[in-house]
Amino acid sequence: MTATVPAPARTRGSRAGASRRRGTGRDPLERQQRRLFWPFAAPALLFYAVLFLAPIAYSAYISLYRWDGMGAKTWKGFGNYQTLIDDPTFHTSLKNTLTILVVGGVVTFGIAFTLTLALREMWGRMFARSALFFPCLVNAMVFGASAGFIFHPSGPVNTALRWAGVDDPPKWLSTDNSFSMITAIVIWSATGYYTTIIMAAVDQIPPYLYEAAELEGAGAWRKFWHVTLPLSWDVVSVCAVLWTVSSVKIFEIVLLFGTANTNPSVKSWTTAMYVYQSAFPQSAVPRLGLAAAAAIVSLLMVAVFTVVLRRLMRRDPIQF
Amino acid sequence: MRKTKASAGLLSLALVGGLALTACGGSDGDGGGKGGEFTYWSMWRQEEPQAKVIKAAVDRYEKDSGAKVKIVWQGRDIRKKIGPAIAANQAPDLWDQGADVIFSNTVKNGQAADLSSVYDAQVPGESAKVSDVITAKYTDTLPAGPDGGKKWIVPYELVSANLYYDGADPALADAAKIATMDDLTKLCDALKSKGKACFTTEGDDGWSSSLWLDYLLAREGGGLGKIAADKSGAGWDSPAVLAAARDVEKLVKGGYFLKGYDASKLPAQETNWAQGKAAFFLNGSWVDSETATQRSPKFKFAAINFPAVKAGGPAEANAIMFGFSVPKRAKHADAAKKFIASFIKKDNLSGIATEAKNITPRDDIPAPAELADVQRILQKNPSRAMQDNIDGDYGDKVLYPAWLDLLHGKSSPEQFVAAAKKAHEAYVKATG
Repeated sequence: MTATVPAPARTRGSRAGASRRRGTGRDPLERQQRRLFWPFAAPALLFYAVLFLAPIAYSAYISLYRWDGMGAKTWKGFGNYQTLIDDPTFHTSLKNTLTILVVGGVVTFGIAFTLTLALREMWGRMFARSALFFPCLVNAMVFGASAGFIFHPSGPVNTALRWAGVDDPPKWLSTDNSFSMITAIVIWSATGYYTTIIMAAVDQIPPYLYEAAELEGAGAWRKFWHVTLPLSWDVVSVCAVLWTVSSVKIFEIVLLFGTANTNPSVKSWTTAMYVYQSAFPQSAVPRLGLAAAAAIVSLLMVAVFTVVLRRLMRRDPIQF
Repeated sequence: MRKTKASAGLLSLALVGGLALTACGGSDGDGGGKGGEFTYWSMWRQEEPQAKVIKAAVDRYEKDSGAKVKIVWQGRDIRKKIGPAIAANQAPDLWDQGADVIFSNTVKNGQAADLSSVYDAQVPGESAKVSDVITAKYTDTLPAGPDGGKKWIVPYELVSANLYYDGADPALADAAKIATMDDLTKLCDALKSKGKACFTTEGDDGWSSSLWLDYLLAREGGGLGKIAADKSGAGWDSPAVLAAARDVEKLVKGGYFLKGYDASKLPAQETNWAQGKAAFFLNGSWVDSETATQRSPKFKFAAINFPAVKAGGPAEANAIMFGFSVPKRAKHADAAKKFIASFIKKDNLSGIATEAKNITPRDDIPAPAELADVQRILQKNPSRAMQDNIDGDYGDKVLYPAWLDLLHGKSSPEQFVAAAKKAHEAYVKATG
């Protein structure tokens, strides 16, 4: 197994070399491959362009207009982007998205690593892993919707707390606490998913490396730091990208947290919710140009975060 | 990076793909009906009583006129579907919703047809025009569209917001005599001494809970509509706003709201009220049907108009209408308009009261027994539009955050005014 950085130099070199060889046209197999490249790649590229690139380009286009989706478009230039700069609700949405991305990410991966450490040698770890993965099978919306019952002032959580002697339990469902609760639910439902992936990578690490580390006198932390983390780094970096992409899309749980009957308070909006509320408002004229501008900003944000993460997490390949 | 780009593409598709679809255009809607064919998108789900009443009227109409009506029971999400449908040139010929939703989604941007011809039409089988049978004081509260007209909806159901209570509760026997806020707080103090909460409200829901502010502001001589329309933000400096905020603070600090109102999710407090945990509940008159199965059999649904702040002060009753609208781009608008006039006839509209248990905008149709108080309040008092039909976006971004802090006792009246004004100014700056 190679635990490494994506697109290692070895692979790149190999491809580059192949390319040079194709240029010479000496190898019949390479020539054949070259002839077949476009017939095979073109349909996928076409789908990619039609399904992904065209909507993005169209969104970028309408982000320059004021448009309700029904009447004529009015040119606004970068006015919608200026609105985003001026709109405190977008600032809150952006702050919330970044909070989930960064704080939620750190907590999720922190718990995932802790569980990995605890579960690596535990008896029945396959069962524990399945149990941890279970929340992933249930849509986060279910947890969001049931929170209204579970955390109701006289619901099971507060009843249990009162039994335990807490006279004035927290106001879990207060609008001021909604975003913290949403973040906690997102972390809870995502932790099992990332723990499972990281543990699968850790399972591939040869046991003799741990044995050697033990012989050297390494404790649990040192084994994690010097063996587990470096040898599962490529998987962790992919998980980090997956988390970044998924956290920027968090939307349904914000919409449905505690109830499906009311619009969520702007205090708990994320950028995805801002896009939705601008495009499909409860009772206001839709502002598709603004929604598109917010979506483009979200797209750029995830792209920047992903590139930066990939750069920060790049490591030399470790062969084992 | 290939994977990253694919992920980014997927994200973008999820976020903005829907926007692209709205511009794709479409074919000829319902297939081009002839001889009175039209398409109707309903806000009701097929199993709801209003849907049954409308379906029965449609069946009769089809039989009598030979028309064909294609009904799609869209449910409440119709508000999100109507815009894209109009954009794609696939608008239904007829749709229905609350006046606030129709106004903000299609009237404001000039996408709703003028229904003056329906108001001028004869009600089939009656010797009166539609405008004669629909009580004008309700439709007069409607905001005007860009062309200055108010006839963009023909209402068939009328809802009011009042203080509801159990008329069979001996402790509330004198509730019907309440005329002023002082009368109300006196009764609240009596209830408090017996350990019962006077009010409850959905503390997470800006819209329904701010009916308190809406009413108190109107009683103090102000109005949310004027404040929202004044781009300078000076409307928030009106003495009526501070006075209304102080009225709210008095109720909050007085401990009259049921404990936990600020820590639950809608409809938890409506349920609490239905189960007798609080005496009064301020909300739309749909509360009757929503809580019918939760109330004790002895519970007698009763209502009082929101009290005046001073004896003889303003006492308008909030009214909001649900009704039919025709998109400007409807292909068979005339056929749809004929049906609207037909639906307004007493035989049809009575079903809204008798089957769907709601009030109609025809004063000659008695309300169901449970809503008799509400109809009496509406008929006896002048009408005003609920929350002055303020834009939902303004509510979400300006009013509700500041309001909920005041309602939850986290800000003083002065802080509320300052926060709302600041949010108003930021909103105006951002939206132009």
